[in-house]
Amino acid sequence: MQIFLPIADVPVDLFVLLALGAAVGFLSGVFGIGGGFLMTPLLIFLGIPAAVAVATEANQIAASSFSGVLAHLKRRSVDFKMGNILVVGGLLGSGVGVEIFRIIKSYGQTDLFVSLCYILFLGSIGTLMFLESLSTIQRSGKPQRNFKPRKKHNWIHGLPFKTKFKSSKLYISAIPPIVIGFFIGILASIMGVGGGFILIPAMIYILGMPTKVVIGTSLYQIMFITAFTTFMHATQNKTVDLLLALILIVGGVLGAQLGARVTVKLKAEEIRILLAIIVLLVCLKLAVDLLITPNDLFSLTYSTEL
Amino acid sequence: MRKILFAIIFLFSIASFCFGSVISDVDKSDIELSTRFDGTSILVFGTISSENNRTSLLVEVVGPPTTIDIRKKVQIWGIWISNKIAQFQDIPSFYQISISKPEHPILKEIEYQRLKSIFYDSLEIISRSEKGNEPEKYYSELTRLKKKLGNLVTFKEKINIIENKLFSHKVNLPKKIHPGIYKIKMTLIDQQGKELSKSEHSVKVSKVGVQEFLSSNSKNNPVFYGLFSVIIALFLGFSAAQLFRWLYR
Repeated sequence: MQIFLPIADVPVDLFVLLALGAAVGFLSGVFGIGGGFLMTPLLIFLGIPAAVAVATEANQIAASSFSGVLAHLKRRSVDFKMGNILVVGGLLGSGVGVEIFRIIKSYGQTDLFVSLCYILFLGSIGTLMFLESLSTIQRSGKPQRNFKPRKKHNWIHGLPFKTKFKSSKLYISAIPPIVIGFFIGILASIMGVGGGFILIPAMIYILGMPTKVVIGTSLYQIMFITAFTTFMHATQNKTVDLLLALILIVGGVLGAQLGARVTVKLKAEEIRILLAIIVLLVCLKLAVDLLITPNDLFSLTYSTEL
Repeated sequence: MRKILFAIIFLFSIASFCFGSVISDVDKSDIELSTRFDGTSILVFGTISSENNRTSLLVEVVGPPTTIDIRKKVQIWGIWISNKIAQFQDIPSFYQISISKPEHPILKEIEYQRLKSIFYDSLEIISRSEKGNEPEKYYSELTRLKKKLGNLVTFKEKINIIENKLFSHKVNLPKKIHPGIYKIKMTLIDQQGKELSKSEHSVKVSKVGVQEFLSSNSKNNPVFYGLFSVIIALFLGFSAAQLFRWLYR
């Protein structure tokens, strides 16, 4: 069934979109990822302008992360103080990112910019994940050395503005969370991702937060940042397609519930290697699209919106 | 006074008898662009009267004005980058011309002149990097791309004429059309291309329902639209959480 998207300004098949939302939602349920970094490129492959794909995906993530935060609130696994500091940095980053996006849009190069950002991120993250899981698989079987997590005392602890984070049992400077939040805000606004794949490792390895509160706190920050990013894109770039977002939310919710309840008979490393392959394939497709000689060198775009 | 009036009417009827006239209508005056819009067609019909069968009928459909950029891809460090090279301002988003007699002697000339006045003369900006190129190049790219998109149709379908009097013609509009006023012009021409009689109608194409609500608010009330999008998303996220909590309790 064909429907016409009002802001993206393209006709698409409703069932294709729902299936796409469900498939990415399913993967996020299985792999425990947000899925923004898969959905945005897939929307671009469907012919939706990159600027609309990014802004609309931020809107979808606002819905899915809110849904996730509610579950974590019940389990009391959100560090509000840390979350709020991350949000402050994130709001600033999102504002900067939307402004960068607006400037690039005025040059008419959003498609290229978003593609390049994705190639860079998906390429590096996919490769890292692939190599790491591969070495884990190879190491398994050999006797495991027991790594004891010890309290690290690194440069983070030398920074000023120290404050106490009760839920995380930390006493660190507020500067690193602000910087991390800022970076995630930029990512959310220029790539249409939640940024969990960067935020979660950063919380564990840089801030030293306990794993118990990491996911809830990251969802808490992502919800605020993507909601703010949606608002900024809507007012600055007018690229949020609410109809598209609604379809993706519905598809995504169903897919994620299914994915979370399916027992996948795979080891953690195998799941990670599978995810790495998906990420690298999407990256490859984006790269190939930029590198192959186009069929038609010329194209036509409307300067005035419909 | 009445005599003069009769004389005028008489002269007009003679004139129309000698030179030909066209009376026409269209089957709809409004087209609604809903979310389910999947292209449509307009039926144009009417009568023509002419002294001989050497006249031809032209039907033109002219969509609302738009500004169009022509972009060209160039390779920089192996990557294909698309750059704006020219802009056409206020050209019809859709243009179709059809004729009742495709064997008309000066068909090519009619096509060239119409397209020239509509498109060629609207070329406004050429980017600096493209200096030295003839404007014809952009014009031919524009018409080629518009034809490819189905927004420019020249003499593809013949107008049906019955007994050299009645005519009907179906104009197909593509899936992606701009809202606005579409003018439908009927012109009776002779062998030399001289215009004998004209008739014009307009069809209003407008977005409706969800389509209209979202696109007009996104454009005109971005603050409201932004807040609305966020609230809807959060509400759906909340509902999903509640729904599944209830389902799996």
